Amino acid sequence: MDMSQYHDLFLTETEEHLRHMSQLTVALEQNPSDRDGIDALFREAHSIKGMAASMGFDATAGLAHHLEDLMVGFRNTGNVPPEAIDLLLAGVDLLEGLLADISNGTAERDVSAFIAGLVEPTTVLPVSAEKQQAKGATSAPLVEALQDVQVVIDLTSEALAPSARALLILEVLRMSGQVESCKPTLAEMQQGFPVRQLSVWLKSGGSEEEISKSLIGMADIKQVSFQSDRRKSALRDEDSRTVRVRTALFDQFINLTGELITNRYMLQSAAKAGDWKDVNEGLDLLTRLVGDLHHHVLQVRMTPLESITANLPRLVRDHCQKSGKKVRLEISGEGLELDRTILEALSDPLVHMVRNAVDHGIEQEGTIAIKAWREKDMAMIEIADDGQGIDPEIIRNKIVERGLLNEAQAKELSGRKVLQWICQPGFSTRDSVSETSGRGVGMDVVKFALEGLGGMLEIDSEVGVGTRFLMKAPLIVAIINILIVECAGEEVGLPVSRVLRTLDIETNDIQFSGGEPLLLVDDEHIPLYSFNRLLHLPEQNDKISIVHLIICESQGRKIGLMVDRLSRQREAFIKSLPSSLNQLPGVSGATIKGDGRVMFIIDPHALFSDETNALEPETEK
Amino acid sequence: MGVRVLVVDDALFMRSMLKDIFIKAGHTIVGEAANGDEAIAKYQELKPDLVTMDIVMPQKSGIEALKEIKAFDTDAKIVMCSALGQDALVVEAVQSGAKDFIVKPFKEDRVLDVVRRVFGV
Repeated sequence: MDMSQYHDLFLTETEEHLRHMSQLTVALEQNPSDRDGIDALFREAHSIKGMAASMGFDATAGLAHHLEDLMVGFRNTGNVPPEAIDLLLAGVDLLEGLLADISNGTAERDVSAFIAGLVEPTTVLPVSAEKQQAKGATSAPLVEALQDVQVVIDLTSEALAPSARALLILEVLRMSGQVESCKPTLAEMQQGFPVRQLSVWLKSGGSEEEISKSLIGMADIKQVSFQSDRRKSALRDEDSRTVRVRTALFDQFINLTGELITNRYMLQSAAKAGDWKDVNEGLDLLTRLVGDLHHHVLQVRMTPLESITANLPRLVRDHCQKSGKKVRLEISGEGLELDRTILEALSDPLVHMVRNAVDHGIEQEGTIAIKAWREKDMAMIEIADDGQGIDPEIIRNKIVERGLLNEAQAKELSGRKVLQWICQPGFSTRDSVSETSGRGVGMDVVKFALEGLGGMLEIDSEVGVGTRFLMKAPLIVAIINILIVECAGEEVGLPVSRVLRTLDIETNDIQFSGGEPLLLVDDEHIPLYSFNRLLHLPEQNDKISIVHLIICESQGRKIGLMVDRLSRQREAFIKSLPSSLNQLPGVSGATIKGDGRVMFIIDPHALFSDETNALEPETEK
Repeated sequence: MGVRVLVVDDALFMRSMLKDIFIKAGHTIVGEAANGDEAIAKYQELKPDLVTMDIVMPQKSGIEALKEIKAFDTDAKIVMCSALGQDALVVEAVQSGAKDFIVKPFKEDRVLDVVRRVFGV
């Protein structure tokens, strides 16, 4: 039987099983006698074994089989000893490596040495390096806390026989860890491919410094650099873009298609008979059906947050092992479903913020709580730690040090504003990037990614209490509800999610403070801005008595936008703009109107988010 | 420091140049060879710390000699000397266990850098 047709499915399913195994193992570390957990872990290993065996991936099947046996042993004793946790995690890592081999089309790596260590679990359980020295034990396979490292080596342009040089470099790197894959591939190098840059993905227990050191003295190297974790996930795999669809959802599609077909016949006969009443009824029904279909299609793209949070417990555990801290990770609301594209974009920022919390937020012991929930059509993902908090003074000093603002200006920044400064590119209050934090994703990238999606990042922190990051992201990417307003005859759209309320007021209601127009709404003073002026459109010169106001949120405060006319609300397919137009402040996209013309979507939050374009006080002429 | 070196090349000119580089840097030349067979024999007799091995030689090539020496001494430290445009042969040599390679014409500092790296200095 031709098994190749199941190849992609095998990869996706196994990846998911491995994610679960990782979570389960970390959970078992906290609850070693959890029978359900032990059973679940057994089942995951068993599933992988079955699939791998059917596909003919013997090394994978073999390793899974031995892990399964290990679990059977623990089922009998009812307890998983701490040394076994490291062993299991190492096994999961190896399975991931094997999966990577299979995915790359290279031969499965040799895992016999590891399996040998598994076969006698009661006598030859690997112990950590320190314990081994203390016991004076003889050679047992060592299990270290391994990290994914991507090393990028640039060769000099004068390098001769570059492929041979790349092979030598690969040899050296093999001594620092396990080579998972490389680019160019081994085969390409062996064939004399003219290598200019070599990328190697390693699983290594050594630090970036140690790895760099190992290459000192090697000829023809121009530069050695590193990139952070790039764990392949089913989400990011370009080759096998598949989605899993719940059968219930699928049934809905079948039903809707049936109804649409009926509807079509109905419309056809009504039009033929010239019966406009029936045609209108048919169109009403069509509108409802298309709406339903659309809603369900979007559901297909929705994936639970769990798919990007599953690896976090393991990440936190590994970081704790390396730094000796004790950090508890609590995650709630993982069932929240978001569009796949959005999840993909949030994955790296989430990992980065959790890493930051472990490395910089928490000193010795603490908790990181991740909560996700939904508000209107936005997903809220909160990452809070009870660590040392971010000291605004340190940031103010850094700002002045960098010459970005002078002392007086820095002093004036409110607590909230100061915190947003950590999102400036290259802004790190540590002088050297901590080893475990890695490089690659800075807070500026996080903020940029979120805003690019139409979301935002809120930062809250108190010294000695903790830090809270709140990521707000749209649940669905392509369609949002917009409120259409008119400014100087131009129609402009605002995302409804950004609009708190609309209000019609009399010009007499407007108060002034220091020349700035304000409005008292529900005991709060809200600054007012002329939307026309902000958009550089001409303002209405006639004396108006009624002012149309849109109250929205920008940068954590409420503001009021004065517009000429409020038009209507509708759903809009948002198209992102080419990069030249994307630079316009506040413009988050555009949509095509019914008459085929383009309407811009303005995000009030982004209108003011540029620090150099700070809120300008409006003065009444 | 003082590494004990066996210099292998069919050209007297090349051997002389290499010998001078090593001696000037304080290393010892324990022997020379002009082809693969001689190289293997001298290696067994002298047990040098390092071998510089020319690739293209009459009778037995440097790559064959490399393979045979590695077969009876897996720790043998052999550095290949290749001419320009022999990339494929250098790749083969590296795959067969050569510790590093230098391309002719040699630069003195390049040669010494390789020695330093191979001996972890």
